[in-house]
Amino acid sequence: MQKRKGFLYYFVRNRNGMIGLAGVLLIVLVGTIGPLFIPKPEGYTMDILLAPSSEHWLGTDNVGLDIFAEIVWGARTSLYVSILAMLIAGVIGIPLGLICGYTHGILADIIDALIDIFMTLPMLPLMIIMAAVMGTSITNVALILGIFSWPQLARVTKNQTLKIREQQYIEAASCLGISKGSILFKHVLINTSGPVFVNMTLVMASAVLTEASLSFLGLGDPTTWSWGTILKRAWSQNAVISNPNPWWWWLMPSLCVVIYVVCFNLLGTALNDCLNPKGRE
Amino acid sequence: MTRYVLRRLGRGLLTIFVSVTLVFFIVRAMPSDPVSLMISPQMSKAAQEQLMHTYGLDQPLLTQYVLYMKELLIGNMGISFAKRIPVTELIASRLPYTLVLLAVVMLIVCAIGIPLGVYAATHKGKLADRIISVLVTVGISIFIPFMAFLLLYIFAFRLKVLPTGGAYTPPMKEGMAFVADVARHIVLPALALAITNFANAVLYTRNSMIDVMHEDYIRTARAKGADEKRVVHKHALNNALIPTVTVIGMQIGIMVGGATVTETVFSWPGIGRLIYDSVNALDYPTLQGTFLVMAVAVVIMSFIVDLVVARLDPRIKLGD
Repeated sequence: MQKRKGFLYYFVRNRNGMIGLAGVLLIVLVGTIGPLFIPKPEGYTMDILLAPSSEHWLGTDNVGLDIFAEIVWGARTSLYVSILAMLIAGVIGIPLGLICGYTHGILADIIDALIDIFMTLPMLPLMIIMAAVMGTSITNVALILGIFSWPQLARVTKNQTLKIREQQYIEAASCLGISKGSILFKHVLINTSGPVFVNMTLVMASAVLTEASLSFLGLGDPTTWSWGTILKRAWSQNAVISNPNPWWWWLMPSLCVVIYVVCFNLLGTALNDCLNPKGRE
Repeated sequence: MTRYVLRRLGRGLLTIFVSVTLVFFIVRAMPSDPVSLMISPQMSKAAQEQLMHTYGLDQPLLTQYVLYMKELLIGNMGISFAKRIPVTELIASRLPYTLVLLAVVMLIVCAIGIPLGVYAATHKGKLADRIISVLVTVGISIFIPFMAFLLLYIFAFRLKVLPTGGAYTPPMKEGMAFVADVARHIVLPALALAITNFANAVLYTRNSMIDVMHEDYIRTARAKGADEKRVVHKHALNNALIPTVTVIGMQIGIMVGGATVTETVFSWPGIGRLIYDSVNALDYPTLQGTFLVMAVAVVIMSFIVDLVVARLDPRIKLGD
């Protein structure tokens, strides 16, 4: 209990962490509750390319749809994709990292080599191909992101496990005759959780970046809104360089992506600093 | 040393092999059929089969794979489905553009990013350092289209000083006029692409400089009366650069193919754009070729990084 109290003590006093947490909570709120109140923008209206006003907070696009509504629905997509991608990466990466760090043998070597190779592969182009292969739905995008994000988690888990493996309490547990699986999941896993948790928030941040890039390139889900999809539509209408310029159309969704990623990165960095006694000053 | 080179070579070949194999089977799992894009319904059945045969698409998957690997060993990457020219030629015509773009990005990163990181580290906690830290946090989180749109809006739309896309204004000019034209076109894509790496360079240089400045040998150097400039630039920076070099080096390798978004926004005719077009055109041989080039680039870069790091840090012996 002592350690946990210490963590919270430092965390609530970390300004960047608090800003990040507030941002993340706001995004979660908008993404989960927003779509309940704001109907999904569909079809077209006559209010084409209106500037932001009290009626359309962030203006409208070239078919007269409200951009604020599109962004709210986009937040839902971003949340869904990043959470699912993070869970998939965790389910694959954490056990592999544990095995790789705790055991010696061919299996550990193979996992190690796999992590190395996956970390050096060019991710975005591979994901573009995968998205073209699997077809465009947000679940597929999340699957692809998860499949390509696990090596990062596996490596962190492995490095933590390597450290913990040498600790005396693990040796003690082993002497008591506790089975290997039980040691791994009850004793090692719990103690790797700090850095692994931090990395999961970072995986969520990069998942949103990649999802937005994929849907910007036209490989997103055409049946739902994503920040990348809004940008793709704006881009295909030359919104950035057309006169008069509908700046709200291209600026707002891309700003959302940046804010989302900055908030998750701030939160991750703050968690890291507070979990690590060295970074607490 | 020989053992080290052999082991690196083995790892490198394995990476390339896995990458090529993975891409070979993934592209063939695409739901649409490239032949249906190439042929028109008016073609006779025999002509269609002839076309399938020319591209080897009538063979079983494994046979295709073995054939492809055999041809690859003698340097033949096949014929592009979309452009009907050898993939080698197609990639050779695109690669210079990507490499030039990368070179400019690296110039920005090394000439400005590293000095800025050193500056932030030597002024730790001061206002300048805090401002730099905020910018870096935003920089590492940047969404490339956001950066690209802002740059386009300011420099191409508002100020009208730079072109909106492409690598040159047609018709293609000769000699120095062409170089000047490309130089004008490269500014915006290079800036958009540089941001993330720039922020990483500043971040890693700053953090490792701060760590290194606490080392005993820095205190020794100061105690010997070496002036501060010399301590920072000669003693500290040499060691502090190791993480920066590692991160930036690996990024270069990945970016040889990873600039897809930037190259698409700015219609830059490089490898990233080629990948995007090839996915849309179901151009298997070109996709495989681009991935081969990327894998080779990554392997070469990680080798170069090792050599540079070993040179910066004499304690690292490549033989072990």
